[in-house]
Amino acid sequence: MSVESATTYRVIYPRVRRRRPPLVRWYRRNERVVLGLGGLAAFVVLWQVLSGAGVVDPLFFGSPQGVFQAGVREVQIPRFWNDVRYSLTEVTVGFLASLVLAVPLGLAIGWYRRVSFAFDPWLNFLNAIPRPALIPLVVLWVGLGIEMKTIIVFLGGFFSIILPTVEGVRTVDQQLLDVAHSFRASQRRLFTSVVIPATVPFIAAGVRLALGRLLIGVVVAELYAQTEGIGVLIERAADVLDGNRMLFGVLLFTLMGVLTTEAAGRVERHFQRWRPSANLDLEEGT
Amino acid sequence: MLPQRRWARPSVATLSVGSTPLAPAGPRGLTRLVRANERLFYGILGFVVIGILWELAGDLGLYRKSLLSTPSLVWSAAVQDFGSGTIWPDLSASGVEFGLGFVAALGIGIPLGLAIGMFRRVEYLVSFLLFGIYSTPKAAIAPLIILVAGIGLESKVILVFLLAFFSVIVSTVAGVRSVAERHLDIADSFGASRWLRFRSVILPSTFPFILTGIRIATGRALVGVIVAEELAANEGIGHYIELYGAFLNTARVMLGVVLLGVFGVLMGEGVRRIEKRYEVWRQEIH
Amino acid sequence: MANTDLALSARGVRMEYRDRSSDTRLVAIEAMDLDVADREFVSLLGPSGCGKSTFLKIVNGLLKATAGEIRLRRNGKGREDAMVFQDAALFPWYSVLDNVAYGLVCAGVKNDEARKRAAPLVELVGLQGFEAKYPYQLSGGMQQRANLARALAVDAPILLMDEPFASLDAQTREVMQAELLRIWNAAQKTVVFVTHQIEEAVYLSDRVIVMSARPGRILADIEIELPRPRALELKRSAQFTAYADQIWKLLASQHAPAAPVGQA
Repeated sequence: MSVESATTYRVIYPRVRRRRPPLVRWYRRNERVVLGLGGLAAFVVLWQVLSGAGVVDPLFFGSPQGVFQAGVREVQIPRFWNDVRYSLTEVTVGFLASLVLAVPLGLAIGWYRRVSFAFDPWLNFLNAIPRPALIPLVVLWVGLGIEMKTIIVFLGGFFSIILPTVEGVRTVDQQLLDVAHSFRASQRRLFTSVVIPATVPFIAAGVRLALGRLLIGVVVAELYAQTEGIGVLIERAADVLDGNRMLFGVLLFTLMGVLTTEAAGRVERHFQRWRPSANLDLEEGT
Repeated sequence: MLPQRRWARPSVATLSVGSTPLAPAGPRGLTRLVRANERLFYGILGFVVIGILWELAGDLGLYRKSLLSTPSLVWSAAVQDFGSGTIWPDLSASGVEFGLGFVAALGIGIPLGLAIGMFRRVEYLVSFLLFGIYSTPKAAIAPLIILVAGIGLESKVILVFLLAFFSVIVSTVAGVRSVAERHLDIADSFGASRWLRFRSVILPSTFPFILTGIRIATGRALVGVIVAEELAANEGIGHYIELYGAFLNTARVMLGVVLLGVFGVLMGEGVRRIEKRYEVWRQEIH
Repeated sequence: MANTDLALSARGVRMEYRDRSSDTRLVAIEAMDLDVADREFVSLLGPSGCGKSTFLKIVNGLLKATAGEIRLRRNGKGREDAMVFQDAALFPWYSVLDNVAYGLVCAGVKNDEARKRAAPLVELVGLQGFEAKYPYQLSGGMQQRANLARALAVDAPILLMDEPFASLDAQTREVMQAELLRIWNAAQKTVVFVTHQIEEAVYLSDRVIVMSARPGRILADIEIELPRPRALELKRSAQFTAYADQIWKLLASQHAPAAPVGQA
């Protein structure tokens, strides 16, 4: 083939790969970490500077240094650990109770179609009520103690788990049920071999949501009752206008939040392994 | 699609070969009407039945009225408070707090979410910080906000904003991430400009997810309103509930709770309807 | 064929992927030389992963080759090439007409003008009356017709088709193949058609370029001397079967080089 003149042909050239200096290459590979930490560091530095200069009122917003010092002071007080234990108890008991109750109930409600029709609006309605609004009611029932907070946590977990469970049972693939039926499976075997395994990913998603919502319940209930718990730590610090201590409390919750979100994510991924695609468009946590 | 329990024997009529039914066999009149709108029918039935049981249990003294009140008492409280107009300032106060915070969350959250989804540098810079705040129960930050912004409108709006903002951002980012690569290829193949690419592919693809985010955000924003009001407020539905809770006026507490539930369900359903219309635009998340 | 009749000319095209973390190289296309004459219908045929779609994307500009050059004959009026994609090829949020007009809008044509220009193409592919419908209301075959119309609307001389009928059922597929030939005849375009179905390639093309499995290279360039216009019944003829057989053996020898000679 003779060479054609460029005016009659458009040429598509290959990509040119230039060797970049090693620093640039390293940056490209680790860009995510660099920018991520950089952004965070910039934020912290900015905060410290503004605080020191008085632009941001150190009384209210504290400073990174101040928060750290407040934290160090706090963990040495025994009352702090009492509060931590208190909050953790609410969370664990409330969550476990919700899990134990919501799963069987959810399975039962989902299985009987008419029952699920009847209960669905109620479940949705109760779920739509912001839990903080229920606190005064629960207080009327059980007072301001640890029971109230546990119930609030429980309610959050309960609805988070039961709704996806019901959904999961209702959407079991008809084909799978047909297969079990064609082999003359008994009701019980049908349930254990088809329905429950198919619903597990939904339950796992519900657990993820529940773990997210737990913390809100804890905080809100504790702030309302103001007896004990990490939420109260924040409130006490607010009373004496100690911004640093308040932020320390908030950071504790952040830590708990991060841990629970991570744990929740792992739980769900573990139970989703066999699912090719999980389009679970459900509400998220915190 | 609900699983039909089809292991009942098929009726003899459908097995007979060689005979064509002259009229469609099956139930007539009321039964057919019920079958067609089964979901609605059983839903309403469920509400009514529980309502009646509730009333009866209360009137028969099965529990103390101060715990749960009864529908009739709640109704008369409603008539009183709506009639005399004492509840309107509370409703409008909460409404304004909700509206302002919510709109602000949409106005900032949607563009930011789009930017995070589209530009990975933006994502890297901002994600650690956002993740930290996302994992923190915003209620824990509430006392700090109130300390800084006072007990007026501003602190409530800020809290509502924070709660709604994160739902919107998370959903929007998920939406941008779910844009089908194939669709982007098509835009590139025909030489679309960056702006056209955004307008014709990314935006429509993300829209259903933004709607989902809005739906979830309404629930969260409502929580924000209540929490802020319970902590420090002179008006609003949260304040209303707390106030009457302290007075052991269970009927009004229930009224407030019911109003919130109704509002939450209505908003949720409203957005859900709109979501359904755009369902066909949605791409599966794998 | 004179040189100036070439619509597309590729030399030494090579495509490599390098995995940054494990530092391994994946060669998708080893070396491709290809000439396509004006208004020729050429098929790229080969097993999955042999690089045929990759080649198309390089021509279209969606990917950049690692080495080699491709020349496309300049079109005075605009784009030289337009791609017809595999499935999920229409935007679910646009009507059929807007989808077909999309290529024009991308090229800078105003919406109304684009729709006017797109309308006759909707008719050409047999979708008249469906202009206002949305993709979810159309069957798979109809969607691919719209897909084709969109590529035709930009009036580029070269059509790149990436397994456009892969997601259709067998009957619809056959109907679409015949339709494609009809439209190609009317529109007078150069077509580079990618497929992994031997029958489809032989039926549609003037030439079949057979490719090997990854790393892809051209095994054979076979002229299909079957008369046009080609009816579907041609697929049962002896000559057709002979071509298909020849190609099949060529591809099979790739898979089982150790097969004993003399086996039927």
